Amino acid sequence: MERLIVDAEGKVIIPPEVIQKRGLRPGDELTLVETAEGLLVYQGGADSETMAWWNSLSEEERRLAEAEARRYEALSEEEREALWNEGVESIEADAEGDEVELPARERPAR
Amino acid sequence: MSFQPGNVLLDKGVVRRVYEARVRLALGQPPTPFQAEAANVWARLRALNTQLYITEQTEHILQRRSPLFATALLAQTRALKKGRYLRRWARRLREMGFSPEDAIVIAYGSFGLDLQSQRIGVEAVVTNDLKLRAHFHVRLPTIREHFAQMIVQLSEPYQGLTLPRVVATAEVLTDW
Repeated sequence: MERLIVDAEGKVIIPPEVIQKRGLRPGDELTLVETAEGLLVYQGGADSETMAWWNSLSEEERRLAEAEARRYEALSEEEREALWNEGVESIEADAEGDEVELPARERPAR
Repeated sequence: MSFQPGNVLLDKGVVRRVYEARVRLALGQPPTPFQAEAANVWARLRALNTQLYITEQTEHILQRRSPLFATALLAQTRALKKGRYLRRWARRLREMGFSPEDAIVIAYGSFGLDLQSQRIGVEAVVTNDLKLRAHFHVRLPTIREHFAQMIVQLSEPYQGLTLPRVVATAEVLTDW
């Protein structure tokens, strides 16, 4: 976590090591978000993993992905919520039949 | 930096935002700040060679989404199976004020089983839900106490289980 100091003109200076780590260049856009916890600064644009995924698609797959993306974006927020809430897992005792018994040799990750 | 886990469980909300960042890219649009945050967390954890886990529910949801978007996400994660007593612990967490959905995610953090590596539990649960993270930290002493009381009554290997840390996505980007 870095501490930034606001100067008299409202400007802040990003430490050089952060600029280098994040690959920032003059003219790059950052997003300032006001949240309940304070101000957050986000680097815009797509990250390396997202770009790697996109670059792995063929032209035909990109066209199909765009069509699928249009369908997804056309959904209402309620419809998207429903998609991402499918198959909610019960915590009730009568649902415990699918729990896996661990052999004694297994140990926690830590 | 004092904590950098080798394995994490990604909350469904994080996975959803990563998915939606890709949807936006396919449309030629930039991600929203929260989608960018989740996608950057994914990239950061991948760069750190962190094993990414999802719950069975998240796996099922991704399996029903477009393979063009979901296949890569599924290939880079493993779904944890519900180990015995997972729901019992989730019900204890429910009694401590967690929603059923939050309770089961935290319970996966202790009782989720990776069948491939035979690992049980994860070091951290990464969430974009700041209320879940805050509630977990506020109630942590009580959670620890109830967890210890529960597992001490169980047989091996359950007595050796531990609680995960619950970490917000912003913390991954700033602290890891």
